[in-house]
Amino acid sequence: MGKSKQTGNHKSDKKKNIAKTWKTKRRTKDLDQIHSDMKPETAAKLLHQEVDYDVTGCAQHYCLHCARYFVDMRSLKEHFKTKVHKKRLKQLREEPYTQAEAERAAGMGSYIPPKPVEVKTQPLEEDMD
Amino acid sequence: MRIEKCYFCSGPVYPGHGVMFVRNDCKTFRFCKSKCHKNFKKKRNPRKTRWTKAFRKASGKELTVDNALEFEKRRNIPVKYNRQLWDKTVEAMKRVEEIKLKRQARFIMNRLKKGKELEKEEAINEVKKNIHLIKAPHAGKAKQMEDKMVQKLQEDVEMGDEDN
Repeated sequence: MGKSKQTGNHKSDKKKNIAKTWKTKRRTKDLDQIHSDMKPETAAKLLHQEVDYDVTGCAQHYCLHCARYFVDMRSLKEHFKTKVHKKRLKQLREEPYTQAEAERAAGMGSYIPPKPVEVKTQPLEEDMD
Repeated sequence: MRIEKCYFCSGPVYPGHGVMFVRNDCKTFRFCKSKCHKNFKKKRNPRKTRWTKAFRKASGKELTVDNALEFEKRRNIPVKYNRQLWDKTVEAMKRVEEIKLKRQARFIMNRLKKGKELEKEEAINEVKKNIHLIKAPHAGKAKQMEDKMVQKLQEDVEMGDEDN
């Protein structure tokens, strides 16, 4: 829709090579995948993963909606307050786009507008140790 | 053989054309041209991309709910060939297409009427706001005053006549 979401390209190393981030080799999760992740069973599994030393923060601090691992609880909490996270929640508040919708838009059946979905930041378990 | 629909723009994907992307969860996506594929890779939302059919339908630019749209469907049951049925179907397809086009055109014309109404309202507002450019605020005031005076004088004269 006209305006690009990119803001600034100088300080962030991540944005140094933007074409690379679009390669399917580095593909991140799509919104519909996250929608299926948000189902209670899968969500529970993702939020309580076993310790994996190859993943950031040993896979203990995962943001379900952004599909990102964090180093510790503190940075996860910080992340919940950021624009990136809030923007992602907003994007998730709509039913995911599907091939069926594409076909309906092409004239195969009447078009059904997407329904809103309630999405909230995952609750934090306060385990002090 | 089947003419698939593009995941992004909903255009037709003929056999031997376009690209199919298979995600690592086995879901398949078909794209009619590299433009659609690239936009998908950039994670654009087809509902928010102005040139796609999904956008046009989602934002009410095109006819969305109509019985004429219900004929084209993904039918997974094969039908045995029958010449008569074939002829009839082709005939029906032409007729349905005709009706569909007519209804879509009418929908768009109705949609554009709203703009014309707003335009008219806007024009009236503009004239009201800038009336001083068309008619000077004190234009004709002197003449009005004169007329009033003349009338008053006449009335006075009449009153005087009645007194006598």
